[in-house]
Amino acid sequence: MDYIILSVTILAIGIVGLVTKHDLIKMLIAIEMITAAATMNFVVFGSLMNDSLGQAFSILALSVDACVTAVALALAITIFKKLKIRDVRDLSEQTEEESPTVEES
Amino acid sequence: MWLETILAIGMVISAVFAIYLKETVSSVLSLSTMMILLSLLYFNMNAPFAAIFQLALGAGTSAIFLLAGDSLTKRSNEKTSKKTLLMVLVISAFLSVPLLVGTVVPQSFIQTAEFSLSIALWDLRAIDVLAQGLVVLTAALGVVILLKEERRRN
Repeated sequence: MDYIILSVTILAIGIVGLVTKHDLIKMLIAIEMITAAATMNFVVFGSLMNDSLGQAFSILALSVDACVTAVALALAITIFKKLKIRDVRDLSEQTEEESPTVEES
Repeated sequence: MWLETILAIGMVISAVFAIYLKETVSSVLSLSTMMILLSLLYFNMNAPFAAIFQLALGAGTSAIFLLAGDSLTKRSNEKTSKKTLLMVLVISAFLSVPLLVGTVVPQSFIQTAEFSLSIALWDLRAIDVLAQGLVVLTAALGVVILLKEERRRN
């Protein structure tokens, strides 16, 4: 049962990072942490029940996680090359500034 | 019992460091350390396949992606102050207390002859595995389209 404490702790750290940090790469690191905490439960419960299905699910989840990281990073790189922005707050400001012109057009 | 507790505390400390360190490279290295410790925990639970995948994808591939993303975008010159480092150590010590008090219990992770990942993957979850291939291909296509569009604009 104590593995759940570890999992919840890592999940909490990830959520705090996702909420408090504004750097795109740091946010991705926090998302990685959250997914690692979630995947851990599959392996722990699978091993406890002596069921290899937990491992199978964890492998599937890990592959999806790597895909998510790749796509999110490609988006971050595109945003940076287009707007020279890496901070999410600047991105929100930019969007707010641009939105009236979109409505006008 | 002690090995699990040490691994768990190490994971918590490296996770806090990954979030609070200002230098992105150090953060990514801390995240990789966390993933390596998690993979060791999986090995300890008799889950070798999950451990290898965690090591290869969680610690290796993701770290490479994040470092590549960091080098392709502008790096901040902020450095972690000693005050922040002290704060990080206090937070990680505080978060490690429940793990020390509860101790990560050495449950008996039995490995029997029935254990077979290939049966679980190919017989029980065959459609999932095929769909997984589709997901990976779609993600690769998405990344290519995103970066190619940008190159064309340049």
